[in-house]
Amino acid sequence: MTISKKVILTGSFGVGKTSLFNQFIHQKFSDKYLTTIGVKVNKKSLKVNDEEISLLVWDIAGEVTQDKVPTSYFLGASGVVYVIDLSRPLTFEGIKTDIEYLKKLLPGGIVKVVGNKKDLLTEDEIEEARAQIKLPIDIVTSAKTGENVTALFTNLAEELL
Amino acid sequence: MFMGQTNYKSEDDFALERLQDILLREDRSELDELRSILYEKEKLSKKVSPIIREHLEFLKENFSSEYESIINELIDKKLKQSEQELLDAIYPSLGKMISKYVTLQMSTLKESIENSVKSKFSFGRSMKSFFTGVKESELIIKDAVVSTIEEVYVIQRDSGLLIANASNKNSMDQDVVAGMLTAIKSFVEDAFNKDSQDLEMIEYGSYKIIIQSYYSFYIAIAVSGAVSASERGGLAIRLDAFADTQMKQFKGKIDSSGEELSILLGEAFIDS
Repeated sequence: MTISKKVILTGSFGVGKTSLFNQFIHQKFSDKYLTTIGVKVNKKSLKVNDEEISLLVWDIAGEVTQDKVPTSYFLGASGVVYVIDLSRPLTFEGIKTDIEYLKKLLPGGIVKVVGNKKDLLTEDEIEEARAQIKLPIDIVTSAKTGENVTALFTNLAEELL
Repeated sequence: MFMGQTNYKSEDDFALERLQDILLREDRSELDELRSILYEKEKLSKKVSPIIREHLEFLKENFSSEYESIINELIDKKLKQSEQELLDAIYPSLGKMISKYVTLQMSTLKESIENSVKSKFSFGRSMKSFFTGVKESELIIKDAVVSTIEEVYVIQRDSGLLIANASNKNSMDQDVVAGMLTAIKSFVEDAFNKDSQDLEMIEYGSYKIIIQSYYSFYIAIAVSGAVSASERGGLAIRLDAFADTQMKQFKGKIDSSGEELSILLGEAFIDS
């Protein structure tokens, strides 16, 4: 039997949530920036530890702070992927407050902090960004090259089982 | 200059000039006045504006009678020239408009027949209605107007995860449909939150998605064709009955029993 889990993709605008979503679901990347209106839902099935899991990913329109996202979108979610753009410090200025808010909203839910746009920075710059961010980053990804995108969702699926 | 001519005017010339002056004085002054009007914008505007205004008033009242034939001719010509482009532009919208209009008219027709049937007695029809349990109005227009249940979804209210579904066609991924429906529902309920009301229907052309919400789940039914108010009421009763009898044992949970529930859902709404 396939287990279904709801996962929310959230974060500030322009951090690459939709690009991560498209890379994970369709293995596609586009340079064109199209802002997400409302929500886009899609599904991807993964086989983890001999078990079939369906991730229903909700790609939510970016908001500067998480308290601006309608709370009903988070209801029933098992996991949250909080995305930041490593090349734009503005996108991780409120990370501490946002993560606290999300954990309070979803007690028992898994929250993953993802540093995206790895392809735009050197290793040193990534380390510099890590030092600036007030919380540990769970994984550094590039939606453009696809680096670590599948790993991100597979790790999340493993924890959700 | 020729020999013998001088610059001095003769007495005759002088007299002629004086005569001209006397005879043309009035004309010359009028000419000067006209020149000043013609060359000074403000003065010209003062003179011309009332004439233009008057003509515009005239045009306002008599435009159609004066120019109707010319304009009609031009429009006819333009339409003939771009007939194909025009058809391409309006054809898709026209189809949708007709479909929507027909659906609306059918709904109105069903309502009006229902109302008229209430006041007229027909023994045979009443007997059939009595024995089959089908309304008289529905018997009359049964074959003429058909609304069909295309798909039914039972969805977990908070998460939007699909509990069970039944369909008579191959639509897109049902899990995604359930998620998107929940996202739309959440958005509308959040945006227009009035006394915790629920979104009850989504209408798309002649296609309707009727939503009935319960505590931990909701049921969405996609119906094509005209749905009268009484049909909607009947559907609501059937949904309540299904929720009461079948959903209690499943308690809105997502597990292997979803498949069993999907079969029951199909039997109750799609195959009937």
